[in-house]
Order: sequence, then C-alpha cells, then structure tokens
Amino acid sequence: MSALATDPAFVDGATVEVDEVSVWFGPKVALSELSCSFGPGVTGLLGPNGAGKTTLMRAICGLIPTRRGQVSVLGVDPRADRDVHARIALVPEEDAVPEALTPRQLVRYRAALTGVDDRDAVDRAIAQVALTDVADRRLGGFSKGMRQRAKIAATLVSDPEVLVLDEPLNGADPVQRVALIELFQRLGAAGRTVIVSSHVLHEVERLADRVIVVVHGRLAAAGSHRAIREAMADRPRRVLLRSDDDRALARSLLGLEPVVSVELGDIGLTVATKSAAELALALPRLARDHDIRLREVRALDASLESVFAEVTR
Amino acid sequence: MTALALRRFPALLGYVPRACLPPRRLAVLALPCLTILASGLLARAIEGRATAGFADAAGLGIFGLAMPLGALVIGDAVLGAEVRAGTFPFTWLSPVRFPELVLARWLGGWLLALATLVPCAGLAAVLTGAPSLAWSVIVASAAGAAAHIALFVLIGCVTRRAAVWSLAVVFVVERLLGAVLSGIAQLSPTWQGRAVFAGLGDLRDLRRSGIPEGWDAVVRLGLITVACLALASLGLRRLQLTGARD
Repeated sequence: MSALATDPAFVDGATVEVDEVSVWFGPKVALSELSCSFGPGVTGLLGPNGAGKTTLMRAICGLIPTRRGQVSVLGVDPRADRDVHARIALVPEEDAVPEALTPRQLVRYRAALTGVDDRDAVDRAIAQVALTDVADRRLGGFSKGMRQRAKIAATLVSDPEVLVLDEPLNGADPVQRVALIELFQRLGAAGRTVIVSSHVLHEVERLADRVIVVVHGRLAAAGSHRAIREAMADRPRRVLLRSDDDRALARSLLGLEPVVSVELGDIGLTVATKSAAELALALPRLARDHDIRLREVRALDASLESVFAEVTR
Repeated sequence: MTALALRRFPALLGYVPRACLPPRRLAVLALPCLTILASGLLARAIEGRATAGFADAAGLGIFGLAMPLGALVIGDAVLGAEVRAGTFPFTWLSPVRFPELVLARWLGGWLLALATLVPCAGLAAVLTGAPSLAWSVIVASAAGAAAHIALFVLIGCVTRRAAVWSLAVVFVVERLLGAVLSGIAQLSPTWQGRAVFAGLGDLRDLRRSGIPEGWDAVVRLGLITVACLALASLGLRRLQLTGARD
C-alpha cells in the first residue's frame, strides 16, 4: 500500500492497513469499501454518530470480522493472529468495566494476559492516568471519566505499539482532558500508532497530526484538517477582518477577484473568498493603497468543526 | 500449554470469581442452593421413606430444576453476561488462545459450583435422613454441573442472548423434549446427571431405559463437557464483539 502514500488516506510505514473493508450487520451497512492506513503518531477518527467509527476501530482490533476486504495490523490479520494482541490495545467507548475489580486488579489482569513481567509496570500505568490514590477502590463506584482512565491504564500496561481509543476523553474533567491529550501526544511522539475518535472536535484538532473522516461508512476525507479544508477549494472560505474603517475596506474588497461576498457586521467584516491565500497576499497592499489600518485578520472556518461540517454536509 | 500460558492461566481463573460473580449474582445463586436444601427438607416430611423420598426430591427438584438453574446462573456469568455487558474485550483482546480462555472460564465456574451447589446437594441428602445417598448425589451433581456449565459457556459464545437461550435449552429441550425423546436425554446434562444418581444410588424409580447409568453416565457427561468446550472455542473464533449498545 506504500505506492498509495501520495493519497492522504494512506501513510508510509503504515502499522494499520484497512483495505476495501466492508462490514454490515443485517441490512445495516456499517462500513463500505473503506480503505485507509495509519502509522506512528496520533490520527483522529472523525464522523457523525453512526458513521462507522466504532465499527472501524473494532474491525482494526479484530473484535468484529470484515465481510469484505482486509484489515492488517503490524502485518497480520488481528482476527486470525492472537499473538498480535500483545502489541495492540483498545479502549472501548462504552464505560462498561468489571465493577467488582479495582483499577489495580484490572491492570494486573491485563498485564498477566499480555505477558508483562515488569512488576512496576502496573503502578506506572496507573500513575500515568493519575489513579494512584484510588487504585484499590472498586471500579463500580467510579465516575465515567475515572472508568475511562482505568481502561486506558489497562491498555498502557503492555506498552502497545498500536493504541485504539474510542472517545477516550468522555467524562474526563478539563484538567484530566489536558493530561490525557498530552499523554496521547507523548505516545504518538514516541512512535506509537495512536488512533483516537472523539466528538469533541477541537480536542482532536489539538491532539491529532492527521484526521480521517468517515461518513456513512465511507471515507469522506483524510489528511490534516487544514489540508482537507484546502482540498475543498471550490467552497468559499470565510475570513473576519477588523480595521479602523470597515466600510472603506468593504468597498475596496469588492473589487478583488477572489472575494465572493462581503458582509458588514458589528464586530467587523466577514469576507467569503475563493482563496484565502490570494486574499492574504492582496490585503496588505489594499490596506496601504486605501490608507486603512488592519486590526485583525482571522479565518473563521479553519477549525476542525467547520471542516467536519463541510465534509459531512 | 506453553510456559506463558501456564503463567497466565491463574490470572484467567482468578478473574472468574472476582469479576464475573459480583455479590448480586452470588445472591441469585443462593436461590437454587436454598431450593436444593428445601428439597431435602421436604423429602424428610415423608416418614419412613427417606431414601425413596430423597430420590423423588432429587429427580424432580434437584436434577430437574435447581441444578440446571444454578449452573445457568454460573455458566452465564462466566461468559455470556460479560459479552452482553461489554467487558469481554478486556480478555478477548489478548494473546490468550481461545481453548485456554474457555477452559479457564468453565473451570472457574465449575469450581464455584463445587463450592456451592454440590455441597448443598450432599447436605440435602443428609437433611432428608438418607446420608447413604449423599455420595451419589454429590458425584451426580458435580458431573451434571460440569456439563451444564460447559453447555452454557458454549451458548454464551454463540449467541448474544445467552441467558434466554440457556433457559430455553433447560426448559424446552431438556425438560420437555428430553422427557419424551431418549435421544435428547442421552445428550442432556439434566437427564444424565439424574442417571448418574440413579445408577450410583441404585434407585430403580429414577432409571430410564436407553440411557447409561452410574459411572457410564459420568463418562457421558465428561464427553458432553469436552464437546461443549471444544465447540465454545470454535464459537469464540466467530464471535462478534460489537459492543453492549448494539
């Protein structure tokens, strides 16, 4: 699949390869001929509810079989090769945990199953998610966020090469969210393949180097969120401009070729443009020629939310 | 088994009582245990016929109802309930081989049955005043529970509604069809358990033609157990863990 590395859906040195995968449950098609790959670093998996993100993650881990196509993780089929499960891990979205266990017991259990001999690994994994103080309390009394962290600790104990995290930030408080994002970024920077799905898009924007967007079980877009946005050049981009004379600026902007529309509002001018790059080049010259002082130039739709809204439209 | 498999087997086994059988499920398990003891006490009411009374109580109450339901509570807890709850991926997503996993879950469940249901059956014989049958009922209930739990583990591996299907197997297949078709009774842990008891206790009233008795029935139950566990391993290979919400 390396020949396809110029396609943003694929990466060189892929550890996870999804090749023409289709999955359906009765009449419902969950994934349809989806192809993409994942490599070291953090990749965000985005899509609306029911898009097929969880199905894709479960197929990657071998929890569900593919009806067509193939999934390869670290070079093998995760459904056929049991040994590879010592090197991959999944944090499921649902907050189901063995409620009678403590986080320490759960992490120890996972350590034993995956053949981890290092006794300190359990304590380290628990400390990484800041559960040391409650490591001997039963999971049944934990909040959703604490359960998520316990599950993450259970996956981290085996130091997996591929980490699949389905909405891992659900229920986490703001402080923990930041800590977990930093943890995932460290893992990605350390060469682990981290695949994260989340509905909190701005967090994925902060977290992921690369985004895969899945809509209706199909690949809708791939690449960095900026690259995805650039690829949709036929759709106007919106830029907010503030100056010392917004009316004069609006008049002068209407003569520019890339400008589609200009809207004068309370906080400034909202400009729709076919090319943000061309507008950025033209603006300083325009301001100088008309003696206008620019106070703010801000892209309104470069965020992942707008990209997501565009591709799922 | 490899050295690694031997090292992780105690963890797999230890997980069963700790995680699969929370206090609430153990409380449910108390019901069949109490039913078994109540069967013994009821049989005691039949004056002068302790052996025959206990044989009747064991045939109908213990092997016909309490043991299958007790084994169902355990057998469903060790696998089917985990699949339904969505916690099974913690175990499935590991290098553990399926036969190893199935064996550990079954053994954990069977040990629990040996610690709860089986002593109750022996105690029921003593309570009735037929201590001579205690050994027979202990062997029969232990062998029957082994096969029943293996059967329920198998059901947990092949269907998501394991508890419903397990109940259907006990009441429709074993009780209803097994009562009239000896071919089904020969493969039924309920009827085979009863046949072990009838043979070892030399209880003519419980005998049924065309079905092995005593130790022959123990061997039959052993074969049923092995077959169920082998099929359960194959079932795990095909299992779809779609998540608790699906």
